[in-house]
Amino acid sequence: MSITVKPTSDPLWHGEDVTISDVLDALSQVRAKFARDEAGDDELVHPRNCVMTLISVSPDEAHEQVAQRTTQMIGAQHPVQAIVIREEAPLRGHRFDAWITAEVQRPEMCCASECEIVTLHVRGAAADHLAGLIDPLLVSGVPTYLWWLGTPPFGKRELLDALRVVDGLVVDSAGFDEPFKTFHRMAGLLKVAHHRLGLADLQWSRLRPWRETLAQFFTPLDRRPFLSGISEVGVDYAGEARGNRIAAALMTGWMAGALGWKLKRATAGGGGVVVAHYEAGNRSVEVHFRSVQNDDLAAGELSAVRMAGASGGATFRVSVQHDPERKRIAPEPSYRTLHPSGGEDDAGIELAERRAEWHRDVLHENIGSLHHTATGDAPGESRPRHPVVLTSERRRPDSGRVLLTIIEIGEGAPLRHVQQLDLEDEATLLLDLLSTGTHDEVYNRSLAAASALMEKL
Amino acid sequence: MTVEAAPNPLAEGLHDYRVADPAVMVIFGATGDLSGRKLLPALYNLAKQRSLPAGFAVVGAAMDELTEDAFRKEASDKIHAFSRTQPIDDRVLQAFLASLSYVKVDFGKLDDFKALGQKLQELDNTNHIPGNRIFYCATPPPTYQTITLQLQAAALNAGNGFHRIVVEKPFGFDLKSARELTQTLQKVFPEDSVYRIDHYLGKETVQNILAFRFANSIFEPVWNSSLIDSVQITVAEDIGIENRGSYYDHAGAMRDIVQNHGLQLVTLMAMEPPLAFQANEVRDEKVKVLRAIRPLIGEDIEQSTVHGQYTKGWVLGEQVPGYREEKNVAPDSQTETYAAMRVFVDNWRWAGVPFYIRAGKRLPKRVTEIRIQFKRPPHLTFGREAMKEVDPNAITLRIQPEEGISLKFGAKVPSAGLRIRSVTMDFQYMTSFLVEAPEAYERLLLDCMIGDPTLFTRADEVEAAWTFVDPIEDAWRNGRPPLGTYAAGTWGPPAAEQLLKADGREWHRP
Repeated sequence: MSITVKPTSDPLWHGEDVTISDVLDALSQVRAKFARDEAGDDELVHPRNCVMTLISVSPDEAHEQVAQRTTQMIGAQHPVQAIVIREEAPLRGHRFDAWITAEVQRPEMCCASECEIVTLHVRGAAADHLAGLIDPLLVSGVPTYLWWLGTPPFGKRELLDALRVVDGLVVDSAGFDEPFKTFHRMAGLLKVAHHRLGLADLQWSRLRPWRETLAQFFTPLDRRPFLSGISEVGVDYAGEARGNRIAAALMTGWMAGALGWKLKRATAGGGGVVVAHYEAGNRSVEVHFRSVQNDDLAAGELSAVRMAGASGGATFRVSVQHDPERKRIAPEPSYRTLHPSGGEDDAGIELAERRAEWHRDVLHENIGSLHHTATGDAPGESRPRHPVVLTSERRRPDSGRVLLTIIEIGEGAPLRHVQQLDLEDEATLLLDLLSTGTHDEVYNRSLAAASALMEKL
Repeated sequence: MTVEAAPNPLAEGLHDYRVADPAVMVIFGATGDLSGRKLLPALYNLAKQRSLPAGFAVVGAAMDELTEDAFRKEASDKIHAFSRTQPIDDRVLQAFLASLSYVKVDFGKLDDFKALGQKLQELDNTNHIPGNRIFYCATPPPTYQTITLQLQAAALNAGNGFHRIVVEKPFGFDLKSARELTQTLQKVFPEDSVYRIDHYLGKETVQNILAFRFANSIFEPVWNSSLIDSVQITVAEDIGIENRGSYYDHAGAMRDIVQNHGLQLVTLMAMEPPLAFQANEVRDEKVKVLRAIRPLIGEDIEQSTVHGQYTKGWVLGEQVPGYREEKNVAPDSQTETYAAMRVFVDNWRWAGVPFYIRAGKRLPKRVTEIRIQFKRPPHLTFGREAMKEVDPNAITLRIQPEEGISLKFGAKVPSAGLRIRSVTMDFQYMTSFLVEAPEAYERLLLDCMIGDPTLFTRADEVEAAWTFVDPIEDAWRNGRPPLGTYAAGTWGPPAAEQLLKADGREWHRP
């Protein structure tokens, strides 16, 4: 039996076993009371202002709490109609429990605004027909966004039904269960969803500073020719299993899409390095993916991205690293030839230390014998556990707040540049994302390229 | 010169991606008030939002004997005190401070400028900067010409990369001095490398006037003399002159506010749609409006303008002294602290529509707004009695402090009978957008680094504004009309009320 999580603020209204009409009536009363209370004796009632409807769907208590907290933070800054939906086990009929809470803001310089948060715990068939449930609650004429926490049921009717009434779906591919498979399914969504649907990924938003920093390097006109001289790219990421390559694949898909690279093949390199080979006009580009151990980063998070090449007789290297204040480890000479970024390439050095220690594919290939060793069960007696990438706590708000960029052009001394990363909590990312909408052609292109790359890798 | 190039493909899809090329910004007057309160904090915030590229460097240039460490310490203190974003991020700050250098420059000494040139050369080499330079004159206006000529003498105005100069308003004291300044600047830098900064244009809400007008289709069809009765522009300050007595007593409200902010608001309100939101397109349209403003000459000035000076009074619950009792103000000063006028924009769109402009100090509140008053409906369908509480439609564009837009219209009062009263539909920035607005200087500094002069004032704009203002200033100096007075904390001299009353109108209470 699921646990009932009540909204954190005191509800203005609560109903058990109610219908959507009951909720709508209650909502009208809450709004009317607020308008009356705020209007002074001789002052006119201020009209409501609303910029979007934000629907959050949570599979469990933990996610519901995240949704509640995030929605409250957004509501505190912004006039939204917020709906938080939690699916519960089908215990009673098709009705549901509902709460209405409100976030009231009274800025010094403006009149007060109220954001109502409608929380619904739905069961049974209602949970399978979210569109019918939420449609009456939507605010007309403003965009509707569906934020699906956890792992959305890509490919299932339940999700497609909900998407009928929304303009954008927001997910976080850093938190998917079975990330490898789920990511592929997500990439297929845009082919089957309605043409107006925008797809947004909080993981893509977290990559923005990396994209910005790399784009910055190539922004000056005199460096623009370097774009067609890139020959080598290195992407380091934290975590072991292939599901942790999503961010790395999105970064690479972004570069490939923007620069017109064509994926040719992927090969396994030494020390757990996997190499993707791209064709860029009449030259080739190698992208090296490496998993690194870094306790300061969550699994799947990027650790470093490097690009190197030459153009017009000048060589260049640009290296962007996460959390450059990590403890320095003595460099390994053989590694430095590949990544000589001023001796600061901690992530690469750590990888070199670890290159003989593990290889995820080896683990995968030997799963049967490892299971036997661990359990003593004979083959076929019990099913080995599939190596799973743990998704819990894959993101941490404190993991590295700074990017260090090291630029080397020609024989000049390396130029170091420090830039701050934005806050990466859900509310900040979601606000940033929703402020520009969920239709992002660059993301769609990068997602398709990343999916193809993941397949090859 | 602007070089057209294919866009950076890696920047596609990065909204708000505005990054400058590596450059050195030289701040003349780096130890002064403007630098400490505005420029250095703005640059820090640009660094914080990742808008400064790797290699970007700032060189402080001033007459003070300072070590680089001392300048960095001073910069750090100012950033802590005046940054828009708080708390200060120490790692970003340290990285930013590391990009600062300091060179002592006596503006009268060519050798100092040559030494500055050597420093810039060093930075080019170490920071991969292809010779790009921005010279920011955060100094009193009389120094602009000296600095400009010294830059030329030291050959710092040309070479590889771009070379831009930024000067602060006021751009001259009158038409003659403005032309002299322009001539000097243009002798050394091409016009498209001269950035005349009026920070007002960097305000989000000022830019939003254009978005409101030209990103919506429902307002432009009514934006003309067929439906608009009049326009009121109010730039009111509750503060006095603070420590600027010596400057203000020579400038007055006309030169300080109306000649620049006031007329800029008129242009944005009245201009025709530009072909694109690009520098020359926008500024061409603004200049057309300035040239279409009917000049006030002779008796027009007495009938259409009001100037006044505040006497002691009460503002925001506090008793304040009169203007002539302020520090560094002549006891018999004739400088106006309030200016109001009626102007007409003589073109097809605005024929016959009066634009009322008022600006003043020690008014009851700080507010800047444009109010567009529409005409009454041609026929009272519901009868005079039902409509007696209805004002004509109005759109108010509030620039500060409650940034927003308000539409006033009539609605039926719920009852069995038929009674109409005015209601407002408000849009407020503060509760409607997710993103905190950048400080005006952040926006404008970045524009300058990127080479986008759209929000900077062009020489012909400056001259057109002075052409309108100069005759009024001359008449006022000759007591035509006489300088009025108003108690601090009131909405200006009685003559200002009369100005509108004579037209059958009254000032809107902001």
